[in-house]
Amino acid sequence: MSAQASAAKSVKRRSPNQSMGWIPYLFVLPNLLIFTTFIVIPTIIGFIYSFHEYDGLNPMEFVGFDNYKEIFTNGEFWTALGKTAMYAVIVVPLIYCISLAIAMMLIQPLRFKGLFRSVFYWPTMISYIIVGLTWKWIFGDFGILNYMMTLFGSSPVHFLSDSFFANVSVIIATVWSRLGFYMVIFMAGLQAIPTDFYEAARLDGASKPRVFWSITLPLIKPTTVLVVMLSLIEAFKAYPLLFALTGGGPGKETTYIVQYIYETGFAKQELGMASAMSVVLFLLISIFTALQFRLSKGGAD
Amino acid sequence: MNKALKTVSIATVLALSTMSLAACAKKESAGAGTQAGGKKNVTLDFVWFSDGNEGDIMKGIIKDYEAKNTNVKINMIEVPYKDLSTKLKTMIAGGQPPALARISTTELGGFANQAVDLSESNGGLDKYTSQFVDSLKPFYVVNNKAVAAPMDVTANGLIYNKTLFDKAGVKVPTSPDNVWTWDEFSAALKQVMDKGGAKYGLVWDYTPQRWSTMLYQFGGSMMSADGTKATINNDAGVKAAEYFKKLHDDGIMPTSVWFGGENPNNLFRTGTVAAHLAGNWMISNYKDITNFQWGVTYMPKGTQRSSVPGGKFAMAFKKSGVEKEATDFINYISTKEVNAKYTQDALFLSPRKDNAKLDYSFGKDMMEVFSNELANTVPAAATDWSRQTIVPKFSNDLKTTLSEIVAGKTPAKAGLDKVAGLIDKAIAEEKK
Repeated sequence: MSAQASAAKSVKRRSPNQSMGWIPYLFVLPNLLIFTTFIVIPTIIGFIYSFHEYDGLNPMEFVGFDNYKEIFTNGEFWTALGKTAMYAVIVVPLIYCISLAIAMMLIQPLRFKGLFRSVFYWPTMISYIIVGLTWKWIFGDFGILNYMMTLFGSSPVHFLSDSFFANVSVIIATVWSRLGFYMVIFMAGLQAIPTDFYEAARLDGASKPRVFWSITLPLIKPTTVLVVMLSLIEAFKAYPLLFALTGGGPGKETTYIVQYIYETGFAKQELGMASAMSVVLFLLISIFTALQFRLSKGGAD
Repeated sequence: MNKALKTVSIATVLALSTMSLAACAKKESAGAGTQAGGKKNVTLDFVWFSDGNEGDIMKGIIKDYEAKNTNVKINMIEVPYKDLSTKLKTMIAGGQPPALARISTTELGGFANQAVDLSESNGGLDKYTSQFVDSLKPFYVVNNKAVAAPMDVTANGLIYNKTLFDKAGVKVPTSPDNVWTWDEFSAALKQVMDKGGAKYGLVWDYTPQRWSTMLYQFGGSMMSADGTKATINNDAGVKAAEYFKKLHDDGIMPTSVWFGGENPNNLFRTGTVAAHLAGNWMISNYKDITNFQWGVTYMPKGTQRSSVPGGKFAMAFKKSGVEKEATDFINYISTKEVNAKYTQDALFLSPRKDNAKLDYSFGKDMMEVFSNELANTVPAAATDWSRQTIVPKFSNDLKTTLSEIVAGKTPAKAGLDKVAGLIDKAIAEEKK
């Protein structure tokens, strides 16, 4: 092949790219518009609100950093945030371990594999509100679980009205509803591991736990980062399920940070303060994400 | 690449500005119309929520009105009650307020600045307010303006399971002269539980407004009469909270309602609960109960009798471009005849003084008990709950604090001190 020909080829290869230049952007445009209108602009407006006293109706009043200063002395905000962190610390590892275990089971050649997969995946397709209501029927003081327990002669447990059990109920419902989603991600990650590694390990006589620790876990690291990141962010944003299941009660036992912000903004009509709280939450989640990204070097290796 | 990015940015900006322009442009045309027969054609947007069948009754009334006023079309926008405030705020903030809205006492104060003063075109404030029962006045009169017209008035009261009471042989008070004291009432409920087989004696709506019934009966109030300081943590308030806790501790009330958010309506409907402390709006809700007999009786008294008044109102909004037509429609639904039809069919209490006795097709005697509760209500109940710029700042905390008091996590005094702190803070900020 002459130099000229190769140059011509490279030009030829480049030219369609150039002519495509703006076309990809055109495809992105509808989403970009929606994203800008409903996410970016409200975010900016929320940031502006956070420096004002605003009830949503009457004129805004600029208060500088007053809202932020008040957040730092607001015990309830930090209690709610602490509860959310506690919830995340329990829910994220639980979701991680269980969905990984189930994914590993369901990539084996099993009978009725499809049925089992869909059984675990179905709950993710149900809206949080319905999940909450369903578990309320199960856990409620007059719910199915207590009915069964009284049938077998044990005394009823206040799953939703005892502060400890209410938190446990919330965690169970969350794990149940999110499991399938992360299971699918793990299955994709697991199936992407070349089988050569396993064959080599088998020839070397490695034990099953050893294979898991030395091959599976390191090779699904990118998936791990993704799952931990997504589930952590989700845990910090948890609200609709809790709202339907416990309503944040008993008292404020299961009032996590998003519900607290919502109540400040819409029940107390302090939109400025609520915006400032959202900014603080946004910063916290950004820090987590950046930290994880850093630790995993972008999940690249 | 950069050029492309530029193109996209420009396109985005253009598209967005077109969208916002379109949104603004729509406002110009909204409401206005061609001249026909001297009157302009108008469409009135009426934001509405329903608890029962009142939406259908209002649709009938609107149909009559449209037949009489052919230039007016009323467009009912139905929203769930919990979305009402957000919906109205969005419409107003977006520069497109609706012509009308049905609102409850909770929203009145917040939207007062956006409301048309109905008394102005109706012969002045005194003349306007004289049509309606006085206990509602603090709610809809804000800064000497009638910001809304009452459509119905509500009273908290006691609904009981007649079948269970009869089975236990417990008689309920038959006239305002022989109402129970709270101790007598809880003894009666105990008896219905022991002999009548009720699983629980009493369920009580999980709202601070319903709890406050007891506060007023015990002689307390949330704020001083002049609204300058919190009084919820005084002796009467603490006693009311402690008694509320005692009812739970004695097993008369199930904790699942105030701890677990269990719906008291559903519990009462099972027929295993002796009584439900709710309000007159539950009459139409419970109308279809067939598995047991139920009735309404007088609430017990503490140091005094009291209920808590409330109601639903019609508000017309400024800057809708159709303020006059909206006011005319509110005047129409406020007339004696139309209001009588509306409240009678929906089983509501009428806010009009001249509609005190209505010929209800169901529960006429029950309505009379509620009317009597309303007539024996302390003024503090209306003045407290009408301070709708202060109330939202603490009502949710009052609710959760009461749960904590019932759970024994906070002593009554300490809990109410905390709520009083929030009230005082809200009052101070209001003054700023």
